[in-house]
Amino acid sequence: MKAVGARLPRYDGLAHVTGRTTYVDDVRAPGLLWTKALRSPHHSARIVNIDTSRAEQHPGVRAVITQADVPQNVYGHLEALGVPADEPLLADGEVRYRGQPIAAVAAEDEATAREALELITVEYEEREPLFDIRLAFDPGAPTVHEWGPVFPHFGPHRQRRVRKGDVEGAFDRAHVIVEGVYRPGAIEHVPIEPQTALVVPEADGRLTIYSCTQAMYFSMGVVAQHLQLPLNRLKFVGGTVGGGFGGKVDTASETISALLALKAQRPVKWRWTREEEFLASSTRAPWHIELADAVTEDGWILGRRTLTLHDAGAYTRFSSYGLTKHAFHHAGAYTIPNVHFDGFVVYSNRVPTTAMRGFGVTSVSYAVELHMSRIAEVLGMDPWELRLKNANRIGDVTPNLVRLKDPSTVPVMQAAAERVGVELRPEYRSMSSEPRSGDLLPEHLVGNAGQTNGTEAR
Amino acid sequence: MAKHRGRGVATIEYPTGMNQNGDPSQAWVKLKPDGRVDVFAGTVDIGQGSKTVHTQIVADALGVPYDWVTMDNSNTDSSPLCTGTFASRGTFIGGNAVRFAAERARERVLDIAGREMEIDPADLEIADGEVSAKGAPDRKLSVGDVAAAATWTYGELITGTGAAMKPFAEVNDDTGSVTVEPHAAISYAACVAEVEVDDETGEVTVLRLVQVYDVGHAINPTLVEGQIEGGAMMGLGLGLLEAAYPYYPSPEHRGSEFGAYLAPGMEDLPEIDNVILENPSEDGPYGAKAIGEMANNAQPPAICSAIHDAVGVWVTECPATPERVLRALQAKQEPRRDGKRVIFDGEISLARVASEEGAAEFART
Repeated sequence: MKAVGARLPRYDGLAHVTGRTTYVDDVRAPGLLWTKALRSPHHSARIVNIDTSRAEQHPGVRAVITQADVPQNVYGHLEALGVPADEPLLADGEVRYRGQPIAAVAAEDEATAREALELITVEYEEREPLFDIRLAFDPGAPTVHEWGPVFPHFGPHRQRRVRKGDVEGAFDRAHVIVEGVYRPGAIEHVPIEPQTALVVPEADGRLTIYSCTQAMYFSMGVVAQHLQLPLNRLKFVGGTVGGGFGGKVDTASETISALLALKAQRPVKWRWTREEEFLASSTRAPWHIELADAVTEDGWILGRRTLTLHDAGAYTRFSSYGLTKHAFHHAGAYTIPNVHFDGFVVYSNRVPTTAMRGFGVTSVSYAVELHMSRIAEVLGMDPWELRLKNANRIGDVTPNLVRLKDPSTVPVMQAAAERVGVELRPEYRSMSSEPRSGDLLPEHLVGNAGQTNGTEAR
Repeated sequence: MAKHRGRGVATIEYPTGMNQNGDPSQAWVKLKPDGRVDVFAGTVDIGQGSKTVHTQIVADALGVPYDWVTMDNSNTDSSPLCTGTFASRGTFIGGNAVRFAAERARERVLDIAGREMEIDPADLEIADGEVSAKGAPDRKLSVGDVAAAATWTYGELITGTGAAMKPFAEVNDDTGSVTVEPHAAISYAACVAEVEVDDETGEVTVLRLVQVYDVGHAINPTLVEGQIEGGAMMGLGLGLLEAAYPYYPSPEHRGSEFGAYLAPGMEDLPEIDNVILENPSEDGPYGAKAIGEMANNAQPPAICSAIHDAVGVWVTECPATPERVLRALQAKQEPRRDGKRVIFDGEISLARVASEEGAAEFART
């Protein structure tokens, strides 16, 4: 019997529904200490002084750490791609969002750890925060980072650019220009299992890290870099996650737990509270997307101008990656020969945003699809026909010059129309993904297929 | 005051694997002395079922029954690297890694079987846990016996390693263009939302979602449907309910508990109708492409288009809460026309909200 294609039950389904799956929080270690973190109450402030001495002397407290205890405090998730590190594990001199960790405590129980937090004194100098990214370049606006309001490392540019074809000409030739603004908001990942780590310092000097990460090797790399340890000193145990959705790509609890375990030489667990999970963990990013499409009266999209502002929150994390992905997919499932795209990663004083299901593209799909519906309304056209007419076809070229080999915009739309009983006109019902010809190869798309660098996409 | 019905469609595409590639997954496979198979890979199963899918792939690539195969993704000592469970890469890239490892192990099985059966390995095939001679199916040896022979007769271990990675695709920062395709594959989907809008309360109810996904080839159709339906609920939350910042951009009034944050629940579940299309990818395992992430991308715009179809207003800030729908109904904003320009949403645009100097900075290139 072939296994591929079979409706086999999930490997771990029975254990999940009968409560027999072992999550990180179910792992027991003798002599366990519990962790609590002191987090910034301010959106933006300078830290004038931190005094942990009273917390260290509190009965039951076994370790207290601040940025001074971290071998390499500042980390960047995209350093491998040449993006400089910008995010401290524990705040150093500044806090840039409410909830940012400043110090952490390991104690015999959670109540003692909480008490110890009360004994840490931090002197802040509050500053005006920035929340509306549209105002980031306004004179006098607060700046989140010293290098300026936006991420400056798209090669020599401060914005991700896409340029293809003759956009000016397309807008000149257009019968109608449809403009709209789309603002998909931030949401939480809402995992049932909050961020949790258990770190056991072994007798041989290794650290066993029980982790709910979505990416064991990635998180192992993050911990190794902060702790400046080779990979053979770390063993990640994981592979089972109580809900991730992108939020557990962040290595949120492992590193601080590991530092406390090393300092205390005891097993340390850090299980975020539900409140921390909601208020201090990362979110999906909010986006601001402005689209202007140059269209003909019979529904061809000749060109598109796009301005995207990506609200990164206080630190970069994966934002520039997400914005580049957004840029690559900003024409949606359609072929638009002339485009001009500028996208900015803008910092604000909110929790850093991170990956979430559909990262970078969920936002642009929202904008593009609503815009398509609007164009159809403005032209008085059927929204199905507008989409099918401009649909990706074999041989079409994307804004970043990838030639499409087997797109299926047309068949998925035809199948959906059939399922809901939408009667497509015969020319749309019989349409295929085959290379354009005849009426479906208008003048503005002739030669479009030639503008590639020889890339073949699937 | 009445309830109005409307329908909206959205069509989307989504890449498989990390944007710009360069994201490896690795795996290794070993056989126990009775032919049972252990697979080691660092791919985390976040509930999507990657362990099951990888096990299915190994079973077929090796030619053994599914229940002979056990996958271990529990730790970084025994499992090799997987870049991570994100970017819709598990089935395609992780799946290829375990497939390649199983294919190497299969070659080793055929090699040992050839020695035992005194037949050229090229003339042997494996199916259902048995090695047999092509054209002479009665000349056969179980994979269990082959593994035993490897262990006890030849003193060898049957194993195989595999790694999958597409090279990093550089982007031209001036034009955004690439010279290598920056993804493993692209999946496509269409979603039709049927909604009911109450023009008195602004409440939107999704009655039905019809969703068509081209997933290349469904390694496990039940799990594909799980992704489609789970994704639909996340998309519904994104489109109608959830807000980390209810008064964005203000950071105030954030929900700090389940009772103060509206994630979708079973009572929000509409009728869901799934269609799986199979347009096989060229080099995914058994033609597979991604389904994971894209499954929550099409509902928000389909729902917002359906709201317009129902009551004639565009809600372009997500989620389309009752408050936003009511405000739009009260405003009944028509687009501004300026020559051939038709301008929607001018009041929330950068040009309107930012200072002239601030807006100019975003336009400066």
